[in-house]
Amino acid sequence: MRKPTVGSVAKWVALVLFCVWTIVPIALVVLNSFKKAKDIFTTTPTLFFTPTLDNYVNAFTKANFGLFYLNSIVVALVSTVIVIVVGTFAAYALTNFRLPFANAIAGGFLLGKLVPVISILLPLFVMINAIGLRGTLAGPIIAHAALNLPFVIWLMMGFIRDVPRELAQAAMIDGCTRMQIFWKVIFPIILPGVAAAFVLSMQYSWNELLFSLQLTTLDTYTLPVGIASFVGAISVDWGLSSAAATATMVPLIIVGFFVQKHIAQGTTGGAVKG
Amino acid sequence: MLAWLLLIPAAAVVVTVMILPLGFALFASLFQYSLGQEDRMVFVFLDNYVRFFTDPVALHALFNTLLFTVLSLSLCLAVGVGVAVLLRDMHRPTANVLRAIYAMPILISPIIVSLIWRYMYDPTYGLVYWLLHLFGLGGFPGLTSSATALICIVIADVWHTAPFIILVASAGLTVIPEELYEAARIDNANPLQVLFKITLPLLTKVLVVLILIRGTDAFRTFDLIYGLTGGGPANATTSLSIYAYQQAFENNQMGYAMAASIVTLACLVVLFGPFLRNSAQDQGE
Repeated sequence: MRKPTVGSVAKWVALVLFCVWTIVPIALVVLNSFKKAKDIFTTTPTLFFTPTLDNYVNAFTKANFGLFYLNSIVVALVSTVIVIVVGTFAAYALTNFRLPFANAIAGGFLLGKLVPVISILLPLFVMINAIGLRGTLAGPIIAHAALNLPFVIWLMMGFIRDVPRELAQAAMIDGCTRMQIFWKVIFPIILPGVAAAFVLSMQYSWNELLFSLQLTTLDTYTLPVGIASFVGAISVDWGLSSAAATATMVPLIIVGFFVQKHIAQGTTGGAVKG
Repeated sequence: MLAWLLLIPAAAVVVTVMILPLGFALFASLFQYSLGQEDRMVFVFLDNYVRFFTDPVALHALFNTLLFTVLSLSLCLAVGVGVAVLLRDMHRPTANVLRAIYAMPILISPIIVSLIWRYMYDPTYGLVYWLLHLFGLGGFPGLTSSATALICIVIADVWHTAPFIILVASAGLTVIPEELYEAARIDNANPLQVLFKITLPLLTKVLVVLILIRGTDAFRTFDLIYGLTGGGPANATTSLSIYAYQQAFENNQMGYAMAASIVTLACLVVLFGPFLRNSAQDQGE
C-alpha cells in the first residue's frame, strides 16, 4: 500500500464529486416520480417520504403514455431494421467489390453526418404534408433511418474490412456466390458490429425529438414529443413528467451498462477502437 | 453489377430524405410564402438571405450558436479528457465501475436532460438554488436572466455530453504504449509534462474525431434549448435551429425559415468539413 499523497487524495475527491454530479440529477427525477406533490414542492429536498405510484398511473392513463411508448417502440424498431439492412448491404458493396469511386461514394454518405435536422425537417415536413403522410409513423421512421445511415455504413465498413480476405477467397473457390459469401462467411463474423449498430440506432430513434415533434400528431406522438409537451407548458406537472421521464430513460440507462464498451467505437464510426 | 444493386437502397434513402428535401429547401428559400399557401409563393431571389444577415435577432442566434458551441465543446472536452486521464492509471476494476457510473447520462434523451435541469434550476424547488443558499449565494438569476441563461444551458449540456468524451478518450488512452509513461517516470517528469508531452499529442486523432462529433452536435442543438428556455429570455438562448424552427412554425414564414436552415447547414460545412475530410482519410487508410 502506497502512502496517500496530496495528489492522490485530490484525485479521489474529484472522482467522487464527479459521481455525485452525475447521479444526483438522475436520482432526483427518479425520486420525484414516486413522490406526492406535497413532497416534491418543498424548498429543502426531501429524502424520506411515502412512495406512491400515482404519477405512473396518471402518466399511462390520463396522459396517454402507453400509446407513446408503443409508437416509440414501433418507430425505433422499424427504422433500425431498415437502416441496418440498407446500411450493411451498402457497406458490403463499398468494401468487397473494387467498385469505381468507392471511396468517393463512402465519403458522400459521410457528408450526411453534417446535415442539421432542421434543414431536412422543414422541406420534409412540407413534402410529407403534401402527400398526406403527416401524422403517421412513416415520417419519423424514414427520417430516423436516413439520419442513422452514415454512421451505420461507416461502422459496418470497418467491421467488414476486418474480416480476413482469405475467408472470402476460400469460399469463392468452393463455388459460393457473392451473396452466399456474405451470409455464410461475413455476416456471422460482423454480428457484434450489427448488434452495436442496432443498439445505437435504436437509442437515437428512441431519443429523437425534432422530427417527431412536427411529423406526428397527438395519436402518433413518440415518447420525447410526449415529454416535450409537458416541459413546454408554463407550469410543469413535475410528478407526472418525472414518471414519464423515468419510464423513458431507465431502460436505456440499463442498456447502457451492457453496451458501454461499444459506444466509443460505434459512435465514432470505428475511428476509435474500444 | 451486384454491388450497384446493393447500393441502390441506401442511395434511395439518401435521395428521398436528404437530397430531394435539401434541393427543395434551396429552391423554397428563394420565395416568400407561408405554409399551406404554396400556390401563392412570391419569388424574392436572395432577399431571404439578405434579410437573415441584416436581422439583429438572426445574427444574435448565429452568435449564440457559435458561443454555445465553443463553450460547450471546450468544457466537455476539458472535463471528459480530464476524468479519462484520472481513470487511466487506476486499479482496472475500480476504474471500470466508475466509468459505468459516469456513463449513465449518455443514453438519456436531450429532452429528458432538459426536464431534469429545468427542475434543478427551478427558482423555488431546484437543487441548484438550495445549494447556492447553503453557501449564502442568493439571487442567482439562472434561466430567467439573459445574462446567465446560456451558461446554464451549457452546464446542462456538459453534464449530458462529458460522459461520452470520457468513454471515447478512455478508449483512445488504452492504445498509448505504457513504455512512454515508464520512461517519463524514470526521467522524473511531472504530471503536467506527461499530459502535454505524451498524452495529449498521442490523443490528437481521437480529439479531432471528438471535436467533429461533439462540435456538430452542439452547433445543431435544438432539444435541450427547446426544453429549457425555448430560446428566451429575450432571444438570449436562441440557437440557429431554434430560430429557423420558430420562423417556420410560429411566425409561419416558410421561405425565410428554409433560408435560415440553409445558412445553418452552410456554417456546419464550412466549420467542420475540414475535420470530416481528415477523419475520413484516416479511416480509409
